[in-house]
Amino acid sequence: MNLQSNDSQLTGFLRKNGRWGFRNYILVLPLHNALNQLADQVRVHHPATAIITSVAHDWSGEVDSDWARISRVFSGFAINPNVGATIFIGIGTPAEEEILRNARAHREMPITYLTLKDAGGFERLEQQVMESVSEVLPLVASVKREPAPWSAMVLGLECGGSDAYSGITANPALGVASDKFVELGATSILAETMEILGAEHLLAARAKTPEVGQAIIDVVARYEQSISYEGIDIRGAQPSRGNIEGGLTTLEEKSLGAAKKAGNAPFTGVLDYAHTPTEAGLYFMDTPGHDIEQLTGFAASDVNITVFTTGRGTPTGSAVIPTIKVATNTEMATALPDLIDLNAGTIADGTQTVLEVGAQIFEEIVAVANGKLTAAEMGGHREFNLSRLYGSTL
Amino acid sequence: MTRVNSLIVLDNRDNIAIALQELQIGMVIEQGDIASVLEVKTVIPRGHKIALIEIAKDDPIIKYGERMGHAYRAIERGTHVHTHNVIGDRVSTEPEPAE
Repeated sequence: MNLQSNDSQLTGFLRKNGRWGFRNYILVLPLHNALNQLADQVRVHHPATAIITSVAHDWSGEVDSDWARISRVFSGFAINPNVGATIFIGIGTPAEEEILRNARAHREMPITYLTLKDAGGFERLEQQVMESVSEVLPLVASVKREPAPWSAMVLGLECGGSDAYSGITANPALGVASDKFVELGATSILAETMEILGAEHLLAARAKTPEVGQAIIDVVARYEQSISYEGIDIRGAQPSRGNIEGGLTTLEEKSLGAAKKAGNAPFTGVLDYAHTPTEAGLYFMDTPGHDIEQLTGFAASDVNITVFTTGRGTPTGSAVIPTIKVATNTEMATALPDLIDLNAGTIADGTQTVLEVGAQIFEEIVAVANGKLTAAEMGGHREFNLSRLYGSTL
Repeated sequence: MTRVNSLIVLDNRDNIAIALQELQIGMVIEQGDIASVLEVKTVIPRGHKIALIEIAKDDPIIKYGERMGHAYRAIERGTHVHTHNVIGDRVSTEPEPAE
């Protein structure tokens, strides 16, 4: 991988806020769970179905302790650079209008807001959404793919269903690819606060400034406090018995294995959940460990490609981010071929090295950015989950 | 020809490697990413760590190029590196007895 910063192989869709997308979707985004089905029907039945995406969720308009988080996720999701136009469908409430204002404030793009109140019925609303898709279609199609710089890449790093091989195969190989992107001027985001507990001092030592290092220590301390508040001791003295039997000796080692998705690059900053990086570099984002909540937070932060390492296999994909699955072991990659894009299990088989698989992951990321469909996209996986700090009040 | 390695060296700064198969006493390992021939001195279960160099008491254990803990007793080259001779840097509990 002797690539230089000036010979980018990426192509994408340049947005008016300067961000780059690697897909060009029309997003139909329901702002109430009663409209999930309507959004899905439009996606399925409109002739342009191939470029329409939609989500479903459980929110029904509550404005409570989690409102700031929920509002940020909806507005950020709607303006993800992989989206060319967004059609919000709602009931017609001030809360919905606030989401709309936030989205418009951060990106100039075709945004439509259609409500049940104005339409006067579900069927009429569905008809209006269908017409609205047809209306924005030429605008979206007029934005063409063009050569993009390496800095266009905002990579999300994720793992789920980890196993004893994650820390020695897929994660370090992904770290090689992430390091290369960061070196070339792109952005990469590590997340999952609970996963770095025990290694936070080591990651903090890689921070570009003392403030960033302290911020890494602080997000983990906050997480620990919230856990001990619930009376659970998660840190303990050692990794679990199963981890020790598998060969893991210390908690630092276990957490380093998860954090290795982010290679060895220095940390440029720490992001709150669903907040957007402002300059290139490697970031840590404070997210829950839940795969889909993490992926949804990435989408709201302008992440445009995610690489997801998995030991047990998972179909999870995002409605707006191509999600590349890397298997940690050959057995699972062979058993679940339609969920997996790349097998890093060859490292444990002894037939490939971490560097070799890292180079393959890098090439796969470039190919997917340039239009190659991932297994999750081909399977139609469009998971979306709102993350709540305070639980559901209803 | 398919090359099959018996160890993974995760970073060239590491003083340990991961066994990809159970390593038996007396096995001799020659691999491009190991500086010199390594003789296995104790059984190493698959997925467990083996010392690539002599590690003195209190020396750091380096995996992924980072410090994952330290030796609480000296570790001979080619032997098993685990909870019987390594402890996390922030753990204050008494180590387990020797193997």
